[in-house]
Amino acid sequence: MIDSSFDRRDFLKVMGWGGAAVALSGCGNTSIEDGKETVVSYVEAADYVIPGVSVYYNSTCAQCDAGCNINGRVREGRVLKLEGNAASGINRGKMCGLGQAGVQHHYNPDRVREPLLRNGDRGEAIAWDKAYALIAEKLNGVSGDEVAFLSGGVSGHLKVLLGNYLESLGSKNHFVYEAVSPAVVRAANKKAYGNEMPRFSINKAKVVLSFGADFLGSWVSPVHFSQQYAQFRKGVNGQRGVLVQVESKMTLTGANADRWLVVRPGTEGVLALGIINALGASGVALSGDAAAASQGYDKARVTSETGVSAEHLDKLVALLKERTPSLVLAGSAAEGYAHGSQNAAAINLLNQVLGNVGKTIEAPAVLPFPQMAPAKGSSLALKSLNEGLAAGKYKVLFTYGANPVFTAPGSMKFKDSMGKAAFKVAFAHYLDETALQADLVLPLDSALEDWGTQVPEYLADGAQINIQQPLMEKLHPETRGMGDVLLALIKQRQADAYKGFEDYYSYLRSALLQNKGALGGGGSDDDTFWDATLTSGIIKLAGAAGTLSASSAAGLKLPEAAAADAQFPMHLIPSVTANLRDGRHANQPWLQESPDPLTTIVWDSWVEIHPKKAAQMGIVEGDIVEVASKTGTIKAQAYLFPGIHPDAVSIPLGRGHEAMGRYAKGFGVNPFQILDAVYDQETGELAMHETRVKISKVGQRVIVVKDEGVIGGKQDGRRIALSKTTDQVKLSEEI
Amino acid sequence: MHRILRLSFFLMGLLVAAGSHAADAQKPTLTTEDSLGPQVTQPIEFPHYRHAGLRNPNDPTNSDPNKGGMEIDCQYCHTYARRSAVAGIPPLQKCIGCHQNIESVRQKPRIVELFKYWDAKKAVPWKKVHDLPDFVRFNHERHIKRFIEQQNRPTQEACGYCHGDVKEMTVARRSKPLTMGWCASCHQKEHPVTGEGGAPIGNQAYWYKFQKPAADKSGGEIKAQGPNDCWHCHK
Repeated sequence: MIDSSFDRRDFLKVMGWGGAAVALSGCGNTSIEDGKETVVSYVEAADYVIPGVSVYYNSTCAQCDAGCNINGRVREGRVLKLEGNAASGINRGKMCGLGQAGVQHHYNPDRVREPLLRNGDRGEAIAWDKAYALIAEKLNGVSGDEVAFLSGGVSGHLKVLLGNYLESLGSKNHFVYEAVSPAVVRAANKKAYGNEMPRFSINKAKVVLSFGADFLGSWVSPVHFSQQYAQFRKGVNGQRGVLVQVESKMTLTGANADRWLVVRPGTEGVLALGIINALGASGVALSGDAAAASQGYDKARVTSETGVSAEHLDKLVALLKERTPSLVLAGSAAEGYAHGSQNAAAINLLNQVLGNVGKTIEAPAVLPFPQMAPAKGSSLALKSLNEGLAAGKYKVLFTYGANPVFTAPGSMKFKDSMGKAAFKVAFAHYLDETALQADLVLPLDSALEDWGTQVPEYLADGAQINIQQPLMEKLHPETRGMGDVLLALIKQRQADAYKGFEDYYSYLRSALLQNKGALGGGGSDDDTFWDATLTSGIIKLAGAAGTLSASSAAGLKLPEAAAADAQFPMHLIPSVTANLRDGRHANQPWLQESPDPLTTIVWDSWVEIHPKKAAQMGIVEGDIVEVASKTGTIKAQAYLFPGIHPDAVSIPLGRGHEAMGRYAKGFGVNPFQILDAVYDQETGELAMHETRVKISKVGQRVIVVKDEGVIGGKQDGRRIALSKTTDQVKLSEEI
Repeated sequence: MHRILRLSFFLMGLLVAAGSHAADAQKPTLTTEDSLGPQVTQPIEFPHYRHAGLRNPNDPTNSDPNKGGMEIDCQYCHTYARRSAVAGIPPLQKCIGCHQNIESVRQKPRIVELFKYWDAKKAVPWKKVHDLPDFVRFNHERHIKRFIEQQNRPTQEACGYCHGDVKEMTVARRSKPLTMGWCASCHQKEHPVTGEGGAPIGNQAYWYKFQKPAADKSGGEIKAQGPNDCWHCHK
């Protein structure tokens, strides 16, 4: 031990001189390691492979379902960087941060590298042919009704092949599950416009009124909407578009809005009907349905129920009346309640009253191959699977592209239900929570190693089929593409029908070549068409335009506001962030490391509390608070945030993994765990925002790790980033 | 007691620093003179002299491996250098392409070894002899364009500026310091950037210092200095 009189300063002095000595003597050639590094040359090199010179391949981003077309830079056989494909109508050469992190999905050190068979608590590596044989054995004597397949959203040829496999098993139990999906809005859109996902033209609108739709961050097709938003902001005929965001917890889109209106959680529909009522009162002709639905929603009632002031309501109505066309969007905040369908219907009705249908809400293109259209995920699917599992209905369970043990609401107790299936097979990239419960884990190729076709749900710019192709050789020899695995499994059942396909690539190729004419390749020979398709990465289809059918909103009635719950007084808003979404990519460190756009917090979860509420409860930033619902409790650091309703707290989704590798496990908490089993009454979807909680201080305090504020943003008087207070600037483009 | 201990530490540090500094100061930094790197043992002792060496005029069949070479152009094997920033190592395929047709040496130990790698489809684990720190970006392509394609200098001369007289070597050995000072010793010289009559050499649109040198009224050669921005190499 060093005596205390040899203090830190002296120690540093000596170290400093020692360091200088090392540095000086290191000035020669010593940093160059001649003859130590190995340079590995190619054994055989293709003509186009030049070390140091990149080649580029087009493919499709698999980080979310928006289906952005990407262009990967590959050097020395390694994919280094992804960018958007400029020819894409969806993302037009751009990409989001989530997409950029796709390389970390591919190079992730925690990928499963060989098939694993459960032996007690451990997984033992087995060979693929043994794994296939085991599946065949376990399916032997099991009827189709006893087999369930849970997947995330699938589309294209994989969906067709999966459907054929289930058919060969005689099973109709394909559950398509997405933890965070606009399922309620889809149903409401279907009712209001005759179409689940019409095209929203933000760029054609002069006012966008968004009820909690985070279209710049995480909603439906954010890269596409961001570009539309940029055009909308530049304005049509010199008139800059105005964005008004209505929500209970500020999203990235809300932070960009000209006016952000906080509403009492769940009262989005009330405000929509209130606006309709006020529009009617100001002379806008209302249909009978609209008049009936909005009857009684006068200014006084709306103001008291929603908390939006009369002044703001008047301004909003004047704005919507003055500037047409406008666009009203219903997002996840509006749909996440037991009356989510009614909320969404009221919001869609507002579009009809404003005459936006056909102007800013347009019919989407129709995909000429309906069998390839995406199977859209919902949480209803998980609910029915869970009920079946709990009742012991299913003996064999397959899971692919979903992590229900992590994302199912705690009240569902999915893990226990899953245990009742006798044999569980997980097709997985990582040992996530669901794969850990499986009996057999089959390792998949990453999205940058695999073949595939994908059709996005939101067809931004005409119908198109996206091509997914390998950007590089497999990193791990024992992983397989999902298509290849399905093909091998289906050959167990129908060997003759599929014997012509050596692998999924040949299946894909022959399937696309068969329809060459319809895919726009008529007249060219097979190889030319195929090469052109792989080069562009997109097949644009001359699909017929769909139609919108206006329908009545007869019978629309919002329920009375629920009585306050004395035991659980606060609303819990589980927020969907642009980076982490439902948490399937939480093991990509870039996503953990990029600061949340609103709070700038990294690598951890937080509980957003309104400063007034926090002051009442004596909570300051960094206090560990316990958030308790009927279902469970979690503890996380408090973050004081003025962009939230005082009666609500918000915790971001995506963190709090108990497995899934070194970058996901143990960071933050998982709010899915404490979600109550409340469902939307019409669609049966999980009402994500209906959970009521109480919060209490635990007594610990931590330093919140974030970029913002005194700790992260200290400028030492150097005037690096200058700031003004809000009253010094004109905040709004509103009139 | 502790004071003395501290002082001795302090002085020792000083001494070491000063000593190493003095040793360093003696090294010539701006020079083109040779600075031999370590002798590196390669998995196969590749005879550069036999491939690139000059023919022996007294041996028309060129059969004595110790007395004459094949005069193969460096770029025949090191084909990436003119197309990329990095020179790369020739793919094994390249060696085999010729050697599968040269029966006379097929049973020589080095060739037998070579074919072992080829049959196993394994890359030869060559050791790197010319290494630059990761923060330096040297561009082979640009140097070859300038010296060989624009100024028509012989390949071996141009490559030799940095790699030494490889045609005399067995396995390559670093023979220049490859330090920044050594790079600058060439780049500080005045380069001709226009030929006779003021025409830019090779019609290149780029000029050192990012500006076209003033025209020489006499119509003679115009010279300019090398890159003068850090990021040319440190990017």
